[in-house]
Amino acid sequence: MRLREISIDGIPYDRLRVEKIPAAPEYVPRDPELVPASNRSVVVNPNRICMPIGAMWAVLGVHRAIPFVQGAQGCTTYARYTFCRIFKEPATIATASFHEDAAVFGGRQNVIEGVRNLVVRYWPEVIGVVTTCSSEIMGDDMVSFLKEARARLSKEIGEEKTEEIAIVLINTPSFAGSHVEGYDRASRAFLESLATTRDVPSEQVNIIPGMLYPGDIREIKHLLREMGVEGTVLFDISDTLDAPLNPPQEIPYYPPGGTPLAGIRQMANARATFALQPHAGGSGARYLERKYGIPAFIGPVPIGVAATDAFLENLSRVTGREIPSSLHEERGRLVDAMADTLHHTMMKRVAIFGDPDVVTGVTRFACELGMTPVAVSTGTPSKIFAREIESILAEYKEIFLDEPKVFNGGDLFEFEEYLKTIPRLDLILGHSKGIDISRELEVPLVRVGFPIYDRFGYQKKPVVGYRGAELLLYEIVNEILDYRYPDDRTQQL
Amino acid sequence: MTRKIAIYGKGGIGKSTTQQNTAAALAHFYGKKVMIHGCDPKADCTRMILGGKPQETVMDTLRELGEDAVTIDRVVKTGFCGIRCVESGGPEPGVGCAGRGVITAINLMEELGAYTPDLDFIFFDVLGDVVCGGFAMPVREGKAGEIYIVASGEMMALYAANNICRGMVKYAEQSGVRLGGIICNSRNVDGERELMEEFCKRIGTQLIHFVPRDNIVQKAEFNRQTVTEFDPDCNQAQEYKELARKIIENEMFVIPKPMTMDEMETLVVKYGLLD
Repeated sequence: MRLREISIDGIPYDRLRVEKIPAAPEYVPRDPELVPASNRSVVVNPNRICMPIGAMWAVLGVHRAIPFVQGAQGCTTYARYTFCRIFKEPATIATASFHEDAAVFGGRQNVIEGVRNLVVRYWPEVIGVVTTCSSEIMGDDMVSFLKEARARLSKEIGEEKTEEIAIVLINTPSFAGSHVEGYDRASRAFLESLATTRDVPSEQVNIIPGMLYPGDIREIKHLLREMGVEGTVLFDISDTLDAPLNPPQEIPYYPPGGTPLAGIRQMANARATFALQPHAGGSGARYLERKYGIPAFIGPVPIGVAATDAFLENLSRVTGREIPSSLHEERGRLVDAMADTLHHTMMKRVAIFGDPDVVTGVTRFACELGMTPVAVSTGTPSKIFAREIESILAEYKEIFLDEPKVFNGGDLFEFEEYLKTIPRLDLILGHSKGIDISRELEVPLVRVGFPIYDRFGYQKKPVVGYRGAELLLYEIVNEILDYRYPDDRTQQL
Repeated sequence: MTRKIAIYGKGGIGKSTTQQNTAAALAHFYGKKVMIHGCDPKADCTRMILGGKPQETVMDTLRELGEDAVTIDRVVKTGFCGIRCVESGGPEPGVGCAGRGVITAINLMEELGAYTPDLDFIFFDVLGDVVCGGFAMPVREGKAGEIYIVASGEMMALYAANNICRGMVKYAEQSGVRLGGIICNSRNVDGERELMEEFCKRIGTQLIHFVPRDNIVQKAEFNRQTVTEFDPDCNQAQEYKELARKIIENEMFVIPKPMTMDEMETLVVKYGLLD
């Protein structure tokens, strides 16, 4: 073993990068048979997390709403921890706190008592009941449990006050899908149980953004404002998960913002629904279309020039409002920035991973920048993803240096092993879980998508819209400059 | 309106036999549109309707081909008298979770729209006792509205029936499911009819029909047929016809009042079965 001795003073900066040597002399290279995820019964470095967290994310975007997790405490703790890491905000999430007895007798008592305790202590307006694997396998009959919970509540606080509290059940057996599906199911559950009557049709539009950060949602609201369009954003986390620091608040504390309950009820009256991410929110939009005939515009997520154009054009067509000059200017500035830096971005090889809709959006933008997406990967396999990515790749195939490889499903181990086989890679676009790949391959990682927990500020700055694309472009160009050009004044920008 | 019926009973009591024969009688004699959803992991709830054809179960398809491959065409088969059949299937004994299998299968069928509104009857044939949340799935809200319990005049069958009643009381208040009656699948034990009638009275329901024991049932079963198909004129076929009529005309739907253990024992002693 050639291990360097570490002095008592610690490791100096110049020795921080340890030379990579195999862990043992008898190191055996990986069996190529076992590299594809489909040949393995184990997932290494998964590119997805569990379904309830997507549903909890959604519930946290509703005004005075608290998720109630019908499961063991860990199902809640890890989610609160994840939200805290990403947003640096407290997330109030209640748990049914399953123990051994709940596993044997079912979670009936836990939810009835739990909802009661939650209500008398926090007085939420909305409770999003999120189920977990254990509850789903035991076969908890949640619909009737919640009826009993309501009956219990009305006995204690009266029927009138019980009526004011909306309880939405979101079934999220994690073994049936990823966090993306959890958010998707939440969108449908909320609309199904709350947007129940279409009485006075309005001019408003519905926006279901999917799992986008507060900065993105602010940017979408900015686009709506510039267009002069009134809209309801369902699961508006822009304030709830990015609240200003204020003097001590009343207890129980609820962050400002979030989609109001009345607003969700009004979504049945809207003139159109825009689900920006087909996999996260598409079900909600399709439900409104089927039930009330509200036209659904599902995707693409407005990342980059063409997708943002498509979003604004659809918005303009539905509402009859012209795209204003201010947005044309934003677009012009983006295109200018792209032209100014094209010599850095063109003919660069990029690998992209993350949730399906963000990956398709970012891939399209990378193509618009003249890059070659050598590998794209999503941990949530889907036919829509396969179709969309194929059409993007077909559209830009003239400019590609290499044949792109698509991983529909699979893990980041498989992705990394593939990246090691290709001769040259300039950039990785993905979330925080790609940092080890980036270090291993010595290729810069530009953070985009969910989750980003190891850097600050990505939650607050957008990637959607023209301005978001411009900010993403800066990151991409600067990373390329940092890694590819020595700082010796021989290169000029 | 489709009437959704769940059939429960002790294991080996003849649930599947009774249920398939009743379904066949409903379809053959009364022209009803019937569907059977077998919820037993052994997947033997529909073989007499389908003439012994092994049916590809929902869980088989899910395991081997994945969720997307589960389509109505693949898992729903049509048998005698146009009766539509689907089997949930499930894992081998000792592994996995059969209860979750029932939940998944019923959810999938609902998503696919297999329970069409033109059906008059849907039968859920459920394994043995109410053993876990999964096996109570068919009686949840919006699913089966009525339950029939198959029993016989044997001590253990009555215990099981009583136990099932205890299980369903919980669901009755929330989901509105009601007990339609007890079907006696006779074992030819002494005083069987009297015991059964007394039992039904005590738990507040009716003995909807006393199906006598007849070897033709077994004979038909060997031929992979229901009695109605095997010999529609025979006496036993008429019995099932009568049971079917009583189910069609049934208006007595109750929340049962299960007995305590002591009451059960006194009842059995009274009819002299403990001598």
